[in-house]
Amino acid sequence: MTDVPFPAVADKGPGSEGVVATWFVRDGDSVVADQLLAEVQVDKVAVEVPAPAAGTIRLLVPEEAVVTQGAVIARIE
Amino acid sequence: MTVMETQSTDTAGTRRLTTAKAMVEGIAQEMERDPSVVYLGEDVGKYGGIFSSTAGLLDRFGEDRVLDTPISETAFIGLAIGAAVEGMRPIAELMFVDFFGVCMDQIYNHMAKIHYESGGAVKVPMVLTTAVGGGYSDAAQHSQCLWGTFAHLPGMKVVIPSTPHDAKGLIVSAIRDDNPVVYMFHKGVMGLPWMAKNPRATDVVPEEPYEVPIGKARIAREGSDITVVSVSLSVHHALDVADRLAADGGIEAEVVDLRSLKPLDRDAILTSVAKTGRLVVVDEDYLSYGLSGEVVATITDVDPGMLRAPVERVAVPDVPLPYARSLETAVLPTRDRIEEAIHRVVKG
Repeated sequence: MTDVPFPAVADKGPGSEGVVATWFVRDGDSVVADQLLAEVQVDKVAVEVPAPAAGTIRLLVPEEAVVTQGAVIARIE
Repeated sequence: MTVMETQSTDTAGTRRLTTAKAMVEGIAQEMERDPSVVYLGEDVGKYGGIFSSTAGLLDRFGEDRVLDTPISETAFIGLAIGAAVEGMRPIAELMFVDFFGVCMDQIYNHMAKIHYESGGAVKVPMVLTTAVGGGYSDAAQHSQCLWGTFAHLPGMKVVIPSTPHDAKGLIVSAIRDDNPVVYMFHKGVMGLPWMAKNPRATDVVPEEPYEVPIGKARIAREGSDITVVSVSLSVHHALDVADRLAADGGIEAEVVDLRSLKPLDRDAILTSVAKTGRLVVVDEDYLSYGLSGEVVATITDVDPGMLRAPVERVAVPDVPLPYARSLETAVLPTRDRIEEAIHRVVKG
């Protein structure tokens, strides 16, 4: 099992928050390593989140969710 | 190895992209295939296009093929025309279509006419990409669609994708076409994280290069009671309304996504209206002298008797796009306006 964290985009400190702008996969999809999973946004900067491993993806937060950088937003089983 | 192969088979046909990423993928694959394809315009390099139409291309292809230009649309569109005449396949980006006023001589008198004036001896195989559309309070000089203007002037093909799939297929077709093609992307269909959320702007896109034929409409939704002809973001609105009306019981609307205005797929319009007998045209461009009238004439030129009720045109009334959100919403072809028009035509 592999966690997918919200990437560290802003270096304003550990409490910085961002938004999960778009999920490109659906809960339960099988994904391959490096596949585009999501685009997240911090202060108008958009960053892509690739899959760190292959497996079945479990989405832990919905689109538009505001989360702290580093928080786990999905899990690959 | 076997595991990897199985995994890529699993994701085949399910890989999803936003419209912006699909457009970029199409451009990148053509640049990979054909060294004569280059991209130039304002903020298309380091910035990646202000609506993400070129994100990542500079890193991948370098400054010789992805050119940030000075703010002179006449100069860099002229440059692209010259390069095209000499055999390259340049893509020039006009940041907002609203800016066409400062460079229309290059577009209309040169890009569009050189092939004709040379008796077909000189080709201009270039693409003019441009962002269109409103809905986000960018006011009168940054919110227009203006596709009717470009489609009105002979010599240019005009294509307008509404989906990620068509954004990729149409840019590939546009690049490969030997004619000048105007490729108009609506900011609201690009799937940008900072625009209004649009679930239809993220969808399955094949990884390999493919063409969507220029001049062929797409039946976005089949229906038997009424035809809704539209293009670009308004297709998404029309589909939302059609789904709602079907769920409420009763009305099954057929939604035709034109995808190309030049050439216009008149057969698709005629075939659908012959089936339904009722027509609503939804157009985010201005009402008068434009696409909506052209679609209606497509029917009446052939057989007005096809229509069992008067046509409704849902378009922007002949006013500049307002800045105030409430006023802008009042003039745009919103879901509410589309739904009211459908009800009137079905009753009519």
